[in-house]
Amino acid sequence: MNFVLVLPAMIAALALGIWVAAILDATCRSLVAGQGRMSLTAAAPLRAAASYMSRQRLTTEAPDRMNWFLSIASYLALAAIGLAMVPLGPNTAVIGISTSVVLWGACESLVVVVVFLHGWSPNSPLALIGAYRYVAIGLPVMLLSMFVLIAAALPARSLDLREIVTSQAGMWNVLRQPLGLPLFLFLGLSLTLRGPFDYADSADLAGGTSVEDSGADRAGWQVARLAMLVGFSAMAATVFLGGYLGPVLPGAVWLILKTLAVMAVVIALSHLLARMPVARMLGLIWKVLLPLSFVDLLWAGLAALP
Amino acid sequence: MTDLAFYTLSALAIWSGWRVFRVDSMIRATFALMVSFIAVGGIALLMSAEFIGVATVFMMAVEMMVMALFMVMFMMNPAGLNPMRMVHQYGLSIGAGFAAFVGLTVAVLTTNLPNNPLPAGRDTLRDLGIELLGQSMLIFETAGVTLLATMVGAVVLSSRGGRFGDTNEGAVPPGLHPGGAPAGRKVETGGGHGGHGGHGAHAGHDMIMEDADVKDVDTHQSHDEAETDEPAAANDEHAGHTHHTATSDPTSDKIAPGDPHKTHGTEH
Amino acid sequence: MSWISRLATQAPVPVFVAIGDDAPPQTARLALHTGLTLVDSPRAAAILLVAGTIPDALIPHLHRLHDQFPHPRASVLWQSSQPDLLPAAIVAANTVDIVSVLTETRDALLSGAHKTEPDILPDAPLNEWRRIGPHGQGGEGMMGGTPYGRPMAMTADDMRDGLKLDAYTADFGPFLPMFPPGLVLTLTLQGDVIQKVAVVHPPFDVDWNQGVSLLRLLGLPGLADRLLRNGLTASATQTRLIRWSGARAAIPPGLGRTHDGSDVRDRFDRLIADPANPKAPHIDGIHLTDLLVGLEWHEAMLVLNSFDTGALQRICANGGDGDDQRDTETIHASHVGHGS
Repeated sequence: MNFVLVLPAMIAALALGIWVAAILDATCRSLVAGQGRMSLTAAAPLRAAASYMSRQRLTTEAPDRMNWFLSIASYLALAAIGLAMVPLGPNTAVIGISTSVVLWGACESLVVVVVFLHGWSPNSPLALIGAYRYVAIGLPVMLLSMFVLIAAALPARSLDLREIVTSQAGMWNVLRQPLGLPLFLFLGLSLTLRGPFDYADSADLAGGTSVEDSGADRAGWQVARLAMLVGFSAMAATVFLGGYLGPVLPGAVWLILKTLAVMAVVIALSHLLARMPVARMLGLIWKVLLPLSFVDLLWAGLAALP
Repeated sequence: MTDLAFYTLSALAIWSGWRVFRVDSMIRATFALMVSFIAVGGIALLMSAEFIGVATVFMMAVEMMVMALFMVMFMMNPAGLNPMRMVHQYGLSIGAGFAAFVGLTVAVLTTNLPNNPLPAGRDTLRDLGIELLGQSMLIFETAGVTLLATMVGAVVLSSRGGRFGDTNEGAVPPGLHPGGAPAGRKVETGGGHGGHGGHGAHAGHDMIMEDADVKDVDTHQSHDEAETDEPAAANDEHAGHTHHTATSDPTSDKIAPGDPHKTHGTEH
Repeated sequence: MSWISRLATQAPVPVFVAIGDDAPPQTARLALHTGLTLVDSPRAAAILLVAGTIPDALIPHLHRLHDQFPHPRASVLWQSSQPDLLPAAIVAANTVDIVSVLTETRDALLSGAHKTEPDILPDAPLNEWRRIGPHGQGGEGMMGGTPYGRPMAMTADDMRDGLKLDAYTADFGPFLPMFPPGLVLTLTLQGDVIQKVAVVHPPFDVDWNQGVSLLRLLGLPGLADRLLRNGLTASATQTRLIRWSGARAAIPPGLGRTHDGSDVRDRFDRLIADPANPKAPHIDGIHLTDLLVGLEWHEAMLVLNSFDTGALQRICANGGDGDDQRDTETIHASHVGHGS
């Protein structure tokens, strides 16, 4: 892989994805609010970003400035790593190692760390509450995703994403492991701090971990969240929807279409599902969703036996 | 290229490991330790131990996150903003560190490290799996899920909410005479000791402050759930804890109903 | 104007609304206007909109709130009888189109025509530094003294699962977006569980749509906007969307139960289905302590927002034993003002 060519291309793809995600998000919100498609202006995300950037970057009393910056930068970096692992063609991926599924798991766990640091840094109570509340939910949701990914890795007999895509040549994983994609979408909602899993940046904490963010910090965090949405959608499209596989169009086009589809579904879910209080959600995850992920794993295991 | 990566990662690991002990903010210390482990994971990747490298990053992120959370929960100064000294037993630790360094260096330099490079394209992941689990994958998985269920059950049973009601009231052993007072140790109300079993010096400042240094040394160890071999003898806190557990088995419900140590899977 | 400023003038105006007493009834509907974004945090806003009158007791909170806005900032007083509430604020008459005032103010800020407002309060800690000793330690023994008058966080008995956690006491102020307008509470939190509640100031007598607030707290801002727009006429789409979102199922059963057995779920149903006639809940003898203590933050917000203003004022007025236990202002004065 020629890094000089590939890296800028990936960054451009990520930027484009962020922009599309912002437009989709605004459109979905105005549709749900009954306002019609008034927000489908192409420049709206740029204007919003400029609006943030036009204001000062404030600081609080005794913040952890290094971690404040690092958390935002790392969140963006983790999204980029997720996107880099997605195979673009047979045996082609920017980061191609034989344990990419585990690397994705490492990215998920680092997201939890990063969101906690984002809430810890401003030295503010509402932000800190958002931070550790998110940890309580983010860790079990990560468990969910790991079982689901292992189930997807079973037919491929490999932890390599490239092999997982190749194994879907006959049938996509969304069809032969029906529980997998819905559970994985919950992970997506949690990773991108959206909708029913938005315990970090929620409205009942007046913005949670981003309550003290202003100016460039705020813009950076929102951009990083959207970048993670792009990375996650690409990952979900790869693991469950067959990635670059598809009949007529070239592989990259299929990948983009599938990523957009997953992105739209995640955004729709985030505007249409209610968020429960933490204790109730914990109960739901441990008592319902984790057993479902065990069932998914069992199903995949039985199917992979012969 | 590999050499450059190795030297960079090693330097990062050593520097961030040093920062763990130099920063006052406990959160920064925790995550500096995580960075150090991530660098070591990177070195494992260089040695074609891909699974171990990435799994190290994965596990360390989760563990350090939980440790950081416990620090925020129980410590009175997790951010190091208060001008108090956050390190204890300064001289002893320097001595121990130096001794450990000398010992490890001697061990590394005098051992015959193996030199059998892998053939290119060898599937190390498969080899690792077969080596670790052999034919017993199902047993390990079942044991893992059983352990998880046990841990969750232990937490539920030992939390103050209990399973059938407040643990201070329910699950009381029968009296020595029918209708008599319940047998066994009485729950100590008041003071931090009963509630904690002597754990968490940073949390227990309502206790008398003697031996403050000794308590604090191992508090960070005890917060780290990954360690299973805490030196039980070295510290009166842990000795007291062992004592509690050993003598109070049949009436364990009454002792320290909310004791967080009980709820971990570690043996004491 | 730089190109960033020029681009920013085309974005919706980010406004933080501080709702006072006698706020104009159309304050809530500002959220629907596409030219404005009502934000949750003053850090995200460019303009502070003070709607209504602020009682004297809460004016220091308003000054603290004002200083949290990032530069360039401006304040607009709307339907206010206190023109000198904030120095350099723009006073908007009651009948003027407030959206155009806000938009013009923001454009003027970005072009430099309107100077950004300076801080009202000095940028210094409220309490003096105390007790620093030799070797970088403060105070005696391990305690480290009380820098800036803030004592170290000590653990306290927890009521839920027996873990002794750090207790944090602070005043949560009158302008928090998730509080009823004007309510100031002194809360002692352990983690996010409320241990002690004391009312410092009861909520204002302002028309505010609880159903919309509850939907926002449940993570459904789009549906909240839809409910706000439709007002008292419930449309079939709206009812269906709210039902399928699982909002009712997301609220734990038995939360905030009053003496007549109605809990937050019942009140939510009534607010969504039949907003025109709220049923007066039976609240004699109930104090906020009974309702909120032991709940975690999200649940407590749901409970607070499920009562209408009159009921909440009566609840706050019901005496409790918590009112005289407020921590001293001097020690926690620097904590005062979260969301104020």
